Amino acid sequence: MSYRDYVIAAYAVFAVVMLWDWLAPKLQLRAALRAIRLRAARNANRAPAANTELER
Amino acid sequence: MSPLIRWFHQLGSPPTFDRFAARWTPWAYLLGLLAMGVGLYGALFQVPADYQQGDSFRILYIHVPSAWMSMAVFGLMACYAAIALIWRIKLCEILAMACAPSGAAFTLVTLATGSIWGKPMWGTWWDWDPRLTTELILLFLYLGVMGLYAAIDDRRNAARAAGLLAIVGVALLPVIRWSVVWWNSLHQGQTIRMFGESSMDASMIAPLWWMVVGTHLWFVGSLLARARADNLRREAGKDWVGKLAEASR
Repeated sequence: MSYRDYVIAAYAVFAVVMLWDWLAPKLQLRAALRAIRLRAARNANRAPAANTELER
Repeated sequence: MSPLIRWFHQLGSPPTFDRFAARWTPWAYLLGLLAMGVGLYGALFQVPADYQQGDSFRILYIHVPSAWMSMAVFGLMACYAAIALIWRIKLCEILAMACAPSGAAFTLVTLATGSIWGKPMWGTWWDWDPRLTTELILLFLYLGVMGLYAAIDDRRNAARAAGLLAIVGVALLPVIRWSVVWWNSLHQGQTIRMFGESSMDASMIAPLWWMVVGTHLWFVGSLLARARADNLRREAGKDWVGKLAEASR
């Protein structure tokens, strides 16, 4: 018997899990960089308001 | 100080590690993919079918390297965790925790492909056999490490707690390794040896070594990528991270 379907199923599981293993950290990195950019933008917007208050 | 030791010390610095990981991650993935490509080609198209198991034995070429990785990664995770606990090296905490998802992925592949192979060969998807059961416990340990790391807000305390679980969990590795020797097991005994003669025919073994090399390199890529993301999250307030985030826009 060839058991081809079982072989295909096993290799498909391997491919999907490896794809996830490649994609998940990539998405984590993208999310981390985006969060850092947003945080920097928030801080930049907050900074002039604080200065104005001091000048007044 | 020797250049190698100095390089290791420098690598512990977050910006240096980030540059190192950014540089080598794509190469590790690419070389891993190439090695696995060679291995898979050999496994699927060059190696003859087994005289008893037919084509189902080809599952071995992903099952065995994944099983080896599942144990090796856990051992590495425990080593990093021990170094992090003893010498308080932050990068080792990050690397230990970055090992867990990849190790869990390889364990999942091991269990799933073993189950798929077991159905036609043993007539069942699952059996509470010592090797299968201990490998399942390994998956739960990986999930426990990941869950504990995610459950505690303070990243350093979380890494220490999860690292301790990883160190304790190492006790399972010899049980998995010798489960087929210590108990009557449905799972076959050792057939492939790194040193000494394997009971697998020489014509069938080359693709397996390619897969072993490929999965190791793939794991290095995955480890560096995950550790880089965690490193950046932890260093989020620093200037160099801000500049990097702006540059990556």
